[in-house]
Formats: sequence, structure tokens, C-alpha cells
Amino acid sequence: MLESVFEFLFKYRPLIFAEGDFSFRASWAGYTALIAAVGAGLLTLRVYARVRGNSRPLDRAILTALRLAALGVLVFCLLRPVLVLSSVVPQQNFLGVIIDDSRSMQIADQDGTPRLQFVRDNFETAEIGLRAALADRFALRFFSFSSETERVDAVEELAYGGTRSRLGQALERAHEELAGVPLSGLVVVTDGADNADVGPGESLMPIRASGIPVFTIGLGREEFERDIQMSRVEIPRRVLKGAALVVDLVITHRGYRGEMVTVQVEDDGRIVGTQDVRLPVDGDPETVRMRFTAQEAGPRLLSFRVSTQPDEMVTQNNVRHSLMVVEEDRKKVLYFEGEPRFEVKFVRRAVADDENLQVSVLQRTAENKFLRLHVDGPDDLAGGFPTTRAELFRYQGLVLGSIEANHFTPDQLQMIADFVNHRGGGLLMLGSQRSFAEGGYAGTPVADVLPVVLDTGRADSEESFFAEVSVETTRAGATHAATQIAESEQASVDRWQELPPVTMVNPIKEVKLGATTLLRSAADEFVVLAFQRYGAGKSLAFPVQDSWTWQMHADIAVDDQTHETFWRRLVRWLVDGVPDQVVTELLQDRVEPGETVTVLAQVSDTNFEEMNNSLVVATVTDPSGKILELPMAWTAEEDGEYRTTFTSTEEGFHEVRVQASSDGNLLGEDVVYAQVAASDSEYYDSTMRAPLLQRLAEETGGRFYTPETALSLADDIQYVGRGVTVAEERDLWDMPILLLLLVTLVFSEWGYRRFKGLA
Amino acid sequence: MRPLGIGRIALVVVMLAGVGLAALRVGAAGGGSPQRRQRGFNARELIDQRNPALKTPASRHEFYFTRAIYNSGWRGGAWATDYPKADRQFMTVVNRLIHIDASDRENAIRLDDPRLRKYPFLYALEVGDIALTPLEIEGLRDYLMAGGFLVIDDFWGSWEWSNFEAQMRRVFPEYPIVEMSPNHPIFNAVYRLDEILQVPSINNYWNGRTWEQDGYVPHARGIFDEKGRLMVVINWNTDLGDAWEWAERPEYPLKFSTFAVEMGINFIVYAMSH
Repeated sequence: MLESVFEFLFKYRPLIFAEGDFSFRASWAGYTALIAAVGAGLLTLRVYARVRGNSRPLDRAILTALRLAALGVLVFCLLRPVLVLSSVVPQQNFLGVIIDDSRSMQIADQDGTPRLQFVRDNFETAEIGLRAALADRFALRFFSFSSETERVDAVEELAYGGTRSRLGQALERAHEELAGVPLSGLVVVTDGADNADVGPGESLMPIRASGIPVFTIGLGREEFERDIQMSRVEIPRRVLKGAALVVDLVITHRGYRGEMVTVQVEDDGRIVGTQDVRLPVDGDPETVRMRFTAQEAGPRLLSFRVSTQPDEMVTQNNVRHSLMVVEEDRKKVLYFEGEPRFEVKFVRRAVADDENLQVSVLQRTAENKFLRLHVDGPDDLAGGFPTTRAELFRYQGLVLGSIEANHFTPDQLQMIADFVNHRGGGLLMLGSQRSFAEGGYAGTPVADVLPVVLDTGRADSEESFFAEVSVETTRAGATHAATQIAESEQASVDRWQELPPVTMVNPIKEVKLGATTLLRSAADEFVVLAFQRYGAGKSLAFPVQDSWTWQMHADIAVDDQTHETFWRRLVRWLVDGVPDQVVTELLQDRVEPGETVTVLAQVSDTNFEEMNNSLVVATVTDPSGKILELPMAWTAEEDGEYRTTFTSTEEGFHEVRVQASSDGNLLGEDVVYAQVAASDSEYYDSTMRAPLLQRLAEETGGRFYTPETALSLADDIQYVGRGVTVAEERDLWDMPILLLLLVTLVFSEWGYRRFKGLA
Repeated sequence: MRPLGIGRIALVVVMLAGVGLAALRVGAAGGGSPQRRQRGFNARELIDQRNPALKTPASRHEFYFTRAIYNSGWRGGAWATDYPKADRQFMTVVNRLIHIDASDRENAIRLDDPRLRKYPFLYALEVGDIALTPLEIEGLRDYLMAGGFLVIDDFWGSWEWSNFEAQMRRVFPEYPIVEMSPNHPIFNAVYRLDEILQVPSINNYWNGRTWEQDGYVPHARGIFDEKGRLMVVINWNTDLGDAWEWAERPEYPLKFSTFAVEMGINFIVYAMSH
């Protein structure tokens, strides 16, 4: 509307003024008129200076100004002001028209009409619509884009089935292909829902450099009236079978404030988790915490779905699929106790049924005499605690019970620290008279690794400490996976408060910077469970000496599983993410058919030193069982890193098994899975991205349009476009605004005189 | 009889030193003669929970050798046989032989006491006349199902066995009592024991025999839960308690005391790790 008013007053659209250069084209008559006007102006000044009558100086000044202004407008018109424009020469220039061919164009958010209808109405037929208007002036070249960009001859053949929108790539491709012709500009018809891996910013650089404007036509709504979307799902890529997972989902919506919806997790069609959620105000994301257990081993395609609501504009975005690999593996933990303790019994009982954990116990019963339980063979740990890194690094987790620091040699203490820092293992220290500062660990490499501050004076202190504490969760502990001992977060928090008190003989009050406290004593005085990431691994401190109380106390029902649940989760978390000698990663675990999958592998020896000269082979098995063997080469960018790539057009899970060996000895093996499938990203965040399209246009000197304003595109390109142009002049002297101004000034002077009684 | 190795000789020396010291302490308390009950110590009184003699041990330790107080039939107070000398002497030796934070004092508690589950290791003897009350049955069952461990000792002959078995069937109708193999890990937890000796009471030994009633053959039997975890180890036709109690007596054969200590330590270490 504003533009219409402007055009009425100024005769031309704002674009003309923006693109044109202002100038005067006065003839000799005009200059003569200028001299006459100056003379008239001087006379006016003289007259008003002399003739006073009953006027005040202010009145005379005002009247003088009005008269001079009116003269000024006349002079302006007589000087023949013009706008000089560069206008493309019809049919001498090309125009690239790039049309979005992706699935999001099928979304019917225009009163039930799909976005692609605009293309059909304006570009499919040469004689009507925008195509006709553009074709009058330009030679049109059409492109379609989604995952790839292609020249098209028949717009009506577009299928709108593309699974990705790569806008930057499309602009680049069209610009390259039309580089040899006089190009006026590029017109992009799209909803702007770009979901390429890299934004279009980089692709604009050559276009900007060559001065080619990009005109964007945005299709679709900027906001859906009624829609719910599963916006984000964060799940671990790999978990151990039987893991109790807590997964965060983010749901966004419009138009369903206060409604109750159901969120479900499906594993191969089987519902493994469900929760009802009340939606917040429009636009606010709602984080839903879903709990479920990874029961089946192998690659699992999990579906996270929010129930479809009435009148939803887009329903395809109510579900997200994520690949998670459930490993059927057996993680090894070494639990070293310096004396018989009941904690050993009850921890072993708690994890005995977990087939994915092996807790080997080394318990000192007398000097140089050990009880070994659940070890790998008759000679395993026969000499006591490992004395070499290779022997210790076989384990993923290490639990130290009541064993004093003096029991270890300095090298063993350093080895324990390296177990966490370098090997990436998980260390857990339990409370006892021989642990923490009381056990002489202050000032040792193990103390550096621990997440708690050790009082250096405690080891030599005669004063013993004893406290009975009730335990409660901190804010972090209320939601952490390791401390979930009930079905829901609140139930878990409540359960911790109900548990009978336990005893501590290590008065630890402070955690290190960067460490997190999960459990504390009810009086907020002592740290009960804390952890920190250290180097490649993590360390935990649990300065409780008798957590078995949570199993044996008279207030605990015989069939209560709280103690078992806590220990199982704690030990699993201790070994979660601990790397093996061969660790494989895919840069993209989901690709489209024909896209490249990049496989990276990290290879270490038994001491977890990176190896650059291993024989590393990736064996890819596609869904039909066909096997491809690919040697992996050291990348030379990082020690121990090997790389290979492959592509596949067959949809489904591809197993990638990487084996590394050295001198004929197998170092290790790892298996990951790549999913080859058409992308479903087109339906997410599929509103029209006006800011992006506006930016594309502004940065290149183009303009942004909607379907309602697109009709002016043809006219605008004439003056904004590049290529073969000719100079064109547009007169400004006959702008209605000037006449209006002149009349206003004259009548203002007359009116002022009358008002002041000076007429 | 197996020849004594270096380890066993060391064990003997330590035992003699340990039990000698313990005996001096107990003797000072008035328990000098080999009788089943200590002079000045009335077991029946201990049934009364208000008796201040029975209270939670003052010191704090990881392990307490805990003796079960139970109801018995005509032989009331049988639970207190060898008490407290055997307990003290045994634990004194245990503390010297293995790395353990254990109280060297006695600790007796009733089966129906809610504090029973504070002590995951329990010892009961002379159970031939045991007559459990309903509360004791519930207490004992909950204790063992939660993870407690019970060692039974010093009862003899078929008549006592049948009574004991009947009582245990009231506790665990679903779990039978089974013979334990000498290869069971409990017999190898610390000391390797290849055979089950019949340990006589000191009185029987003086009378020239190791057996009592018709209990000619020693047995180690057990009660296992549905996961195969040993909850109760039953030493029938043998008397480990007397061997602990009279280890310092020169006339009592060292081999029996040695065996009894080794068995007891194996039970403790096994119970604390399984």
C-alpha cells in the first residue's frame, strides 16, 4: 500500500528512484527562467524588508520563506529534473530461473493449495503469467534444484520429489552455466527451506563478485497456523545392550497451546516408551525426556513420534528417525579391594545378571595373597594388581576400594592416572579408611585424576572421622542417568531421600572445578557422588563405605531393587564411551543413495599408543549381502587415524567392519552401520524462510518477492538487472508531489496573510 | 593326615600366640574350664533383650562375628554354647591371619531383631534342638533372602538333623538342603581344603572319639537360592566352635583347630564376596 501511495505522488515506484541517478536536463529557456526567478527572489526580499505595515519581523520572515519556497519549486521544475536509469535491452539478455523441485513444495499451506501451484500457474505455460512477462524481455533458461541442480526444458515435468534443498549449490551451478552469456540476473522460486550441509553464503561470493543480482520469490507461509514438529532428538550413537536410556526430545508447535499429546518411541515397530505431554505456549520448545531400554542388539532405527493432531498443516514432521547401534559387548571392570568387605559381595550381586558387564574382583586377603573372582583364566591377575599398562588397559573400568596408595608402586599410581587420562577408562574410588586422603592418595597422580579435593593433612592425622549421612540428589543428580533409581525423575529424587543413611569415613566437602556433584549428604555438607571428565576418560568418587546398607537395611523390602539398579547403572556409566583399540566413526551415518560415506578409524596398540603403520581394512556389507573390502590409509593429519570412503545406491543398513592388525597380530575390530536412505529433512522447519531469501537478494543487489508481489518482478529486473543495457531518462518535473507542494506553499502564504490581517 | 607345610606351621605359631592371649583375657573373666557354658554367664538371661549385656558393639568395624540367638526346645540357651570364648578366640586369630577390619569381640543378636540385617554374616550352633518362632522364621528368611549368610555348626546325629531340617523347611520350603561338593569355591576361598574333617568337641576327644550320637561322618551341606547362590552352609557332625574355643589347650589336637580356623576364615571371606 505504501508503495502505491509513493508511486501516486512521485510518479514512479521506489525501485526506479533507488536504481536511477538524479540529474537536470535544463535548456536555455530553463536557465533564463532561473535568472528571472533569482531576480524575483531578490525583489521579494527587498520588498518584504522595506514594507512593514503592521507586520512583525517574524511574520515577514515566514512570508519571505514561503514565497521563496514556491519560487524554488518552480525553478526545480523548469530545470527539468530527470532520473537516468540503466534499462536492459529486451531480448538481448538472459535470465536464469531456478525452481525448487523438492518435497517441501508439495506442502499445501496456501489455503489448501500446494506451493508448487504458483510454479504451475506462472511458469508452466509460456503465454501466461510471470513467464510471459519475463520472456518479453529476456531469454529464459530454467533450472530445477533439490539435492542436485539440472537444466530443465519443460517446467511441467518437475516432480517435486527432491529429498534435499541445496540452494547455494543451485545458484552456483546456474551462474556457472550462464557465465558465457549476458546475464541480467537469477530468479529463484523456492520456499527457502535450505537443508544443505553448508549454507548458501559461500556460493554467493562469485555471484556477488560478478554483480549478478538474485531475485527471490518465497513460496509458502512464514509460520504455520497449526503444526507440531518433532524438532530434535538427541540419542547416543552407540550403547551397550540393556542400557537404560534417557533421551531428550524437543517438540515445537503452533496452534496447540495447552493440548495434551502423546509421544512414543518405537524400535522396529515395537513401542518401547510412551509419555503424555502438555504443550506450552506457541513457539516455545518443549523438552521431553523419554526413558526406554535398549533391548535388541545391532543397528536400531528408532522412531520418535508425536501424535498427529486435527488440522495439522504438515504431518510428515511429527516423526524423526534416528540410528542407534546397540552393542552386544562385554565390558570389563577390575574391582580391587584391599580387604574383605561386604561391598564386594553386594556390588557383585547387583551386576551379576548383567550379561554385558564382567566385574573381575581382586581382593587382598593377606600380604601378597589375593582372592580372584570372575577372572579370564587361572593366571589372570595371579600376581596381583597389573604391573603393565597393557594388562591394566584391557579393562574399561577400574574400581578402587579399601586399598591404600602405598600398596602401589609409583609407576602403578601413574598407570592408574594414565588409565583415565590416556586410555580413556573410567575410575571409581569407594570410601573406606584406606581410600582418598585417608589412604594416602593426596599428592599422587591418582589424586590429580579424582574429581574431589583431598585434604593433604588427613593421611597423617590421628583423628578418625565417622559420619552417618542421608543422601539426596543435587540438581544434576536428579536427571543424571547414573542416579535414576526409579521410574521417573521425581520418583527417583524421592527414593533417594527415603533410603536409609549410610556411613562415611572420608570427609570430602569440595569438588574440583569442572567436576559435577550428583549426590550429597542431606545436610549439604559432604560430597557423596561426584565425577569429572579427565583427559580421554572420566573419574568418579563415591566416598561411602557401606552402600550395601541400601540392600540389607531392615527398612528395605527383600525384593527391593534400588541397590541393584543404582550399581548396575553406575558401573554401566563408568564404562560408557570407553574406547577400544580400534574405534570407528562415520562422518555421516545417514546418507542418500549415491552419496559418499566417509569412514574414519582410530587405531591404538595395547598401551593405547596411536599406531600409524597398521594394516587397516574396512569390510562393507550392503543390505543384499554384497561385500566390499576397502583398505584404509593413514590420514597423516592425526596419529592413528585412518580413512576410506564408499558410496552405495542400495537403500538400507550397511555394516562397516574395520579390522586393524600389526605384524600379523590382530589389534582389534569395530563395527558401525551406515544407513543409506532418502532424506526426510524436507518436512522439518519447512516454513518459508523469508529472512534467508531477503538476505540472498539484498547481498546481490536483487529483490525479494512473494507470490502477491511477484508480478512486478519483470519490470524491476529491467532496471535492476545487468547485462546489455541502455540508458533511459525519466522526467520528474511532472510529479504530482511538486504540484501539490506548490499549491500548498502559495495557499499557505495567502492563508498566513489573512490570518495575520496582512492581506 | 597331611604333612605340615611352611604356611601351616606359620598358621600354627600365630594361632598359639593369638589364642594364648585371648585365653588369658577370657580366663580372667572366669571361663577357665572346658564347660559348654561360661561360669557367671547365663545364656537364658540373654534371651531377655533388656539385658544390658547384649548391646551393639561399641567399636565400629567392617565385620562382626555375629552369633544368632534363637529359641530352642528343651535345651534352652543352646545358642550360647562356647560363647563368648570361641567367638573371641576365633576372631583374634582371624584378625592376625587376614587383612580384615573385624571386631574381636562377640556380637550376639536375636533372629527377630530388626537390627539383624546390619550383620550380613551369622553363626549358629547346637541347632539340633532349634524351635523357631514365627517371628524368628520371618526374620531369618528375610535376612537370608536380602543377602545375609548363615553358618551352622556343632549338631550331631540323625535325630538332631531331622529336627533341624524340619525347622529350616519352615524357613525355606522352596529350597532344599543339598550336599556340598568339596570342589565348591567356599572351600578354597583363602585356604585350600581338600577334605572335610570331623572336628570333635574337646569332651569327645578326651573320650577317645570324634563322633557323637550316630553322627559318624562329617558333612558340609548347603542351601542355595534359585540363582545358585549359597545362603547357608551347614557343618553337621562336626564342632568347629569347640576347636576355636580350645585351640590353646595342648591336649586338643592342633590339626582340628587349624582346620576349624581355616574353614571359618574361608566362610567369612566367601560370605563377604559372594
